[in-house]
Amino acid sequence: MGVVEDLAADLGPDRVRPGGPEDAIGGLVPAAVAEPLSPEAIALVLRRAGADGLAVRVRGGGTKQAWTAPPSRLDVVLSTTALDRLVDHAPGDMTCVAEAGMPLAALAAAISDVTTHRQRLMLDPPGGAAATLGGVLACAASGPRRTRYGTPRDLVLGARYVTGDGLAAKTGGRVVKNVAGYDVAKLLIGSHGSLAVITEVALKLHPLPDAARTAVLRTTDPAAAAAFCDAVRDAPVTPALVEVAWPEGVVMVRVESTADGADAQIAHLRGLADIEVPDETAADALAADLAARAWAGADAVLAVGVRPSRLADLLRLAAAHDAVLVVRAGVCAGELALPDADPERAGRVAAAVRALGGNVQVRRGDGLHAALTVDPDPALAGIEDALRRGLDPHGVLAGAAR
Amino acid sequence: MATTAATGAIGELAERARAIVGPVWVLSDPAQLSTYECDGLTNQRERPGLVVLPASTDEVAAVVRACHELGVPFVARGAGSGLSGGAMPRAEGVVIGLARMRAILDIDVADRRVTVQPGVTNLAITEAVAPHGLYYAPDPSSQQVCTIGGNIAENAGGAHCLKYGFTVNHVLAATVVLGDGAVTRLGSDAPDAPGLDLLGVLIGSEGTCGIVTEAVVGVLPRPQHVETLVAFFDTVEEGGETVSEIISDGIVPAAVEMMDRLAIEAARAVTHMDWDAESALIVELDGPESEVRSQFEAVTRICAARNAREVRVAASPAERAAIWTARKSAFAAAGRLAPAYRVQDGVIPRTRLPEVLRGIADLSERYGLRVANVFHAGDGNLHPLVLYDSAVPEQVEQSEELAMAIVALCVEHGGSITGEHGVGTEKACSMPKMFDGADLTAFDRVRAAFDPAGLCNPDKLLPTPRLCGEVPGFHRVHPVERAGLGARL
Repeated sequence: MGVVEDLAADLGPDRVRPGGPEDAIGGLVPAAVAEPLSPEAIALVLRRAGADGLAVRVRGGGTKQAWTAPPSRLDVVLSTTALDRLVDHAPGDMTCVAEAGMPLAALAAAISDVTTHRQRLMLDPPGGAAATLGGVLACAASGPRRTRYGTPRDLVLGARYVTGDGLAAKTGGRVVKNVAGYDVAKLLIGSHGSLAVITEVALKLHPLPDAARTAVLRTTDPAAAAAFCDAVRDAPVTPALVEVAWPEGVVMVRVESTADGADAQIAHLRGLADIEVPDETAADALAADLAARAWAGADAVLAVGVRPSRLADLLRLAAAHDAVLVVRAGVCAGELALPDADPERAGRVAAAVRALGGNVQVRRGDGLHAALTVDPDPALAGIEDALRRGLDPHGVLAGAAR
Repeated sequence: MATTAATGAIGELAERARAIVGPVWVLSDPAQLSTYECDGLTNQRERPGLVVLPASTDEVAAVVRACHELGVPFVARGAGSGLSGGAMPRAEGVVIGLARMRAILDIDVADRRVTVQPGVTNLAITEAVAPHGLYYAPDPSSQQVCTIGGNIAENAGGAHCLKYGFTVNHVLAATVVLGDGAVTRLGSDAPDAPGLDLLGVLIGSEGTCGIVTEAVVGVLPRPQHVETLVAFFDTVEEGGETVSEIISDGIVPAAVEMMDRLAIEAARAVTHMDWDAESALIVELDGPESEVRSQFEAVTRICAARNAREVRVAASPAERAAIWTARKSAFAAAGRLAPAYRVQDGVIPRTRLPEVLRGIADLSERYGLRVANVFHAGDGNLHPLVLYDSAVPEQVEQSEELAMAIVALCVEHGGSITGEHGVGTEKACSMPKMFDGADLTAFDRVRAAFDPAGLCNPDKLLPTPRLCGEVPGFHRVHPVERAGLGARL
């Protein structure tokens, strides 16, 4: 029997179909696409794969498959999209629990009913409406608001997951403070599905602020932009985001607070530099424009991160390599879009970022992973391998992840 | 391991350790060893076979390498102020004390980070950066003595983690000696490093994944403005409901703390304050001045609407300090109420506070033992103090049963057995209340990946037959699997 038939025997025929060109990852078309309805069914797929030596790649909305190296083998795409329920929302506790296949946009809509409880999940990663909670976590994806609220590792309270050999386990809990057991969620976040399949996540929510105000500085001088960002950091201002777009030369600071508080913070920013203060409709449009800037039309996108004191250097580096950079100034992490997917150019850019003491990861450009990957030190590689052997002993997920 | 073999191994280790760190830094005299027989959880003790006090990463690595070669278990120790037995040694094992490694290696104001050795105290970091208007956010109550190494092992929290998070949110990188003595670096100087978040799982792993010998921690600018109040209520429920209302009003206070009547009485016995109420609620806001002022008005209004008998606003830093002294003295003061007490660390969803507090009161009555409640109300982290007389054998047993019943109550209400103290030896046998066999098996696989030989602080965090008897459904990784020589389907 073939892979589709075998999986259909486990899951039922309506949960499995042959893979098609639209399912290809890195040019490989999977034999089957499975869409299990439960963690137990996910475990069946993984156990089957372990017994039959199949390579499985996990897929949520499929918006970030390029964030990790293309698979060397691909037999099954395991889609989490059937796990799409909001399991629990406790407004008074500012927490929620959702299944991993739930699109982030749907989750946001479900929990931010402004008339009843003013709160939201402060996670604004790229990927659009299709991006799922599980995929965003597996990729450790975040957006501008990480400046104030952090990344998935700061917002996840607990998770349920299925290991590569089909063990359905949980880690953490639903409460905002908890140190019982190993924080396996930290391992799963950013593991690109290489250790286990995330099936359910408990998240911390934040209150919706009363008011937002925005300040924009326009300058094409890297030193001036960086000096302004430093001044913002040292000022009595707690911005939700500080985005710098280069080489265009835009610095956008958005404060979210009480109405009084937001006005006072903007007044303070006026004292720092010659800023514009657009109305919030225009500010929304600018924020959306900046969020899309590095992704629109680029064949190659790198995630870059340096120490905050290297911001001006990073801006100069972008200009010198004809790249478009959008960076969160406070944390100094962002995306760099290259004019083409030439691995040599990308290699030069990566080397320059690393020379600043920075980190580089590929976000788009399948041909770039091999060129840009650096080997971790042997002790670290040893632990990573041992974790993969421990959580995915048959290499079911690792085979398709690397 | 047979006792005689262990004694032999300890003897051999002592020899090697003297060569590594110098004879004066190796303790083997029984009287000296007794100092290290427990941490802040004083009712569980074991005298270690040896204590070694290294002064550098290289020395720690050499000692651990020797332990690995000789099959001797080891436990790292900072100030020994932990409350869950995390630093408790084994009789045939070694304590690696890090008290000599207390240098602040670098203060980087531009990038707001400090590089420290593990024996540096939590408060010393804040003191070192205070001249620059910066501070280190996690603030466990023991911050004057507890060390950053211990904070990392336990993922320490504190009163202000409601708004600012835990140790794991503030550590950027760490140099770690692994279970076989290899030295590596986890985390990164810059954001978004590729690879697995090994630092994230090491923090809070209670010393079972390796020994941190150097850490880079982030520091924050002092908030522009701080406001603190204490509100007194005639019932515990009104205090609890006030907390929920503040949070659902969209306010994220820097801290929200509560004390019940017994805890207030305890604090009054050791400080000069005149508090007198069924419950006292401390609320602190910080941030930009105008935001803090308008939100503080809202908090004051909510307290009044919830029938606060009195609301006192700290009018000066001294008055703020007095409020916090009252709160932080409650633990030490519990000793005035009874000859002994046990402190618990359960967490519940904060909206369940009133019913869980009622449940604790019922349990207290059933067992005939008093329970004082001091807690981080904002994040639902309870610290019930079970008071008993250690000279009465039945009370010793009953107090433990009562403490465990409170832990179970927290789990029943959707919470956790520990919010910041850690599992250690104290709550290892309670882990199955919260986690099933599959969960524990996965945890054990993580542990085995970091420490295949199982020498890195064994018998902590996970239930073991040695501690708890056989745990149903919990499959421990077999030594053959640990060594990577085989796997089971």
